[in-house]
Amino acid sequence: MATEKTDVVIVGVGAAGGIIAAELAKAGMKVIGLERGPRLKTSDFEPHDELRYFERQDLRPNIKTDPVTWRPNTGAHAGPMPVLNNGNQAGGGTVHYGTLSWRMHEDDFRVRTKTVERYGASAIPDDSSLVDWPVSYAELEPFYDKAEYELGVSGKAGNLQGKTIDGGNVFEAPRSREYPMPPLLVDQSAILYEAGAKKLGLHPFPSPRAIASVPYNNRPSCTYCGFCQAFGCHVGAKSSILVTKLPEADASGNFKLVTGAMVYRVNSDNAGNVTGVSYYGPGRSDNTIEADIVIVAPFIYDNTRLMLLSKTDKFPNGLANSSGHLGKHIMAHMMANVFVTFDDRYVNNFMGPSAQKHTIDDFNADNFDHAGLGFIRGAQLSIGTPNLEGGPIAASTIALPPGIPRWGAKYRDFFAKAYARHGAMVAQTENLPYPDQTIDLDPNVRDAWGLPAPRVTYDWRRPNEKARVAFVQNKLMEIGKAMGAPQVWAAPVSPAGAPGAHHEGGTRMGSDPKDSVVNKYSQTWDHPNLFLVGSSTFPTMGTGFNPTLTIQALAYMTADAIVNKYRKNPGPLI
Amino acid sequence: MTKHDEGRRAFLVALGAGAAATTALVPEAFAKDQKQHHAATDAPPANRGMPPAMQHMGGGHGAFFNDDDARTVTAFAERLMPGEPGKPGATDADVLNYIDLALAGAYADQQDFYRRGLTQLDAHCSQAYGKPFRRLTAEQQDETIAALEQGKAPAFVWPSAVAFFNTVRTHTMEGMFADPIYGGNKDFAGWRLVGFPGAQPIFTEDDMKSPKAFAREPIVGLQSRAKSKEG
Ligand SMILES: Cc1cc2nc3c(=O)[nH]c(=O)nc-3n(C[C@H](O)[C@H](O)[C@H](O)COP(=O)(O)OP(=O)(O)OC[C@H]3O[C@@H](n4cnc5c(N)ncnc54)[C@H](O)[C@@H]3O)c2cc1C
Repeated sequence: MATEKTDVVIVGVGAAGGIIAAELAKAGMKVIGLERGPRLKTSDFEPHDELRYFERQDLRPNIKTDPVTWRPNTGAHAGPMPVLNNGNQAGGGTVHYGTLSWRMHEDDFRVRTKTVERYGASAIPDDSSLVDWPVSYAELEPFYDKAEYELGVSGKAGNLQGKTIDGGNVFEAPRSREYPMPPLLVDQSAILYEAGAKKLGLHPFPSPRAIASVPYNNRPSCTYCGFCQAFGCHVGAKSSILVTKLPEADASGNFKLVTGAMVYRVNSDNAGNVTGVSYYGPGRSDNTIEADIVIVAPFIYDNTRLMLLSKTDKFPNGLANSSGHLGKHIMAHMMANVFVTFDDRYVNNFMGPSAQKHTIDDFNADNFDHAGLGFIRGAQLSIGTPNLEGGPIAASTIALPPGIPRWGAKYRDFFAKAYARHGAMVAQTENLPYPDQTIDLDPNVRDAWGLPAPRVTYDWRRPNEKARVAFVQNKLMEIGKAMGAPQVWAAPVSPAGAPGAHHEGGTRMGSDPKDSVVNKYSQTWDHPNLFLVGSSTFPTMGTGFNPTLTIQALAYMTADAIVNKYRKNPGPLI
Repeated sequence: MTKHDEGRRAFLVALGAGAAATTALVPEAFAKDQKQHHAATDAPPANRGMPPAMQHMGGGHGAFFNDDDARTVTAFAERLMPGEPGKPGATDADVLNYIDLALAGAYADQQDFYRRGLTQLDAHCSQAYGKPFRRLTAEQQDETIAALEQGKAPAFVWPSAVAFFNTVRTHTMEGMFADPIYGGNKDFAGWRLVGFPGAQPIFTEDDMKSPKAFAREPIVGLQSRAKSKEG
């Protein structure tokens, strides 16, 4: 057993861990990053192969060796989830993500207060744990800005220092400056969506993407090949942690990345401080790192799982769990799809960045009046690629219009005609937090290391959520018709209740140690030298927007607090 | 196993290594049918070469399927994606070859699923028509597939009829639309059918602006990309 000492150890070097690693190492702290997967490079992502990366999910966790199980309720049997939405290599999910890079709106950070103000307390479902965030937009804005500029995000401002700008997202919160790069070129589906949405008086705009639209920081610009979501970028135009923060961390001389390192425990002493972590390395070697600061950033499943696996006599319910809220309030975006096909024109949505290409924010968050609708909060409504990826294998998985069977000559003819002539819209819905949506340890399923698998108990089908999905799916139907598509149809939404994309929660942040796990700096209330970062800290989903830019802004804020406050005065930051 | 088959198998095992081989996106299959079944079934598949009688089917097999299985899978896939002049189907694309190689390599953990599924399929067809699936008329085969899709085939226990249908459908689509390097999508049959130009490394501004079919040749497959990478 090898033991090593360092200032900071980081578990998982993905979207969040990669930022904190670089920032602390640049500030002169000795940092070791432990990453269970390999470190790949840009040339590894050529050539693109839909079977390997989309269908067989080569860049994602292997569900056989790293299973996460799911059940709709505590009475049901939990089985492995067929697709895992997190990273499995240095750079984490940013290697193969769709690059949608959003800021939340100002009021999203005070969602409970604002909801009660506008609709009364009775609008919030009794069983929901909807709360305000302990951090404000104004506090986070400099870090959103830093993330956009340091990583590289392309887009168009819709609100520059309070001034509304047409063509950008007119609902966005004020930003201090324009995006560092102009938006990417639009494809045919964006052009159709733009026209349809405008006809209805809505406000479409190109989605902000962590992709270089022009050469940026010595990286080339996008080639519009279409292989983003589920793929690594073959030219390095995608602003993944691999090509942004890891080179910075390397250059600092203070960073060491250990790949193939599976962390299984955070170690603690009787004073309540954590002392480091233990991990399985190559050849199943058992290793320990002693560190002054432990940053846990392996995505939400292992954020909770590691705390539970690290229980001691002093902390019998797991580390960081004096509140009893560890592993609770799990959330996920549900994806409500609507498809259109055209007879007389091509859409060719396999060109240009895959996932959500063009968006409206009109029915997201609280940007519309919910009075009388029977639900609160909304969705990001976008057009993009089927199943978020543009190849024909992905397209073969979509729900079909009425009257089209899933096989046979009729299906073949439909698919042959529709593949290059269809548009794929998706409403990504913000679901509310509920305390009984949880992650715990599966008593029956173990991973390749013999550790109990994280088990998710979750069912999205609540009255508030079902009403929202029906409403936003209907809005997409209206946009599809306004686009002039002869055929418009909606797909059923996870009929079994399984969570959709972007899982969040489990170590929620708050202002009170009694009902939250971490403070706004992602520092645990119970162990001042232990930080749990990532979307596990989100107390609500915030919006229907993809979460990563907010994860990254919070990571910058954590790094800033450690460098400028904690280092001088170790202890609780609040 | 012929030399040729050994080569194909080794190649596929190598390709599959590290890949998460799953029945992808088939919730029913994962929720109910992922449990392990160890009951004795047929002996391991006969590793025979391709007898001349099979060659007219255009289908390579022998890495996993025996002749009867190969005929059944060929017929099943062809009913799912039937070919017509100008509209290549599963046989034209050599979907059988794709599935055969996948089951010998990346999807080796699904061999039992197929073995039992195919046995149950024939049990169902014997009850309903007195013949195995491969000897039914096209109409009877369609009726059978519809019964599986709707879960109306009581001969199925594990895998369930629905899970078996979903998996064969998924694998047929993979064989139609995955890069030819995996053994199907022969001569880009599937990509030509739907108008997908393959893994183009770049689209231009003019490409993006056009509401017309993208017709520029060549279609780009992994074989040619790999060469250009070396060169
Ligand atoms: C296909 C896909 C598309 C997506 N598209 C978008 C998008 O367009 N926009 C967006 O905002 N978000 C998107 N996401 C989500 C995004 O990837 C995540 O929100 C983000 O990566 C989460 O950041 P993280 O740092 O918490 O976790 P990750 O980036 O997943 O990093 C965690 C790292 O920890 C490692 N790890 C895990 N457990 C251990 C352990 N026990 N020991 C050591 N290492 C461990 C993992 O291998 C991984 O590298 C997408 C996700 C997927 C899968």
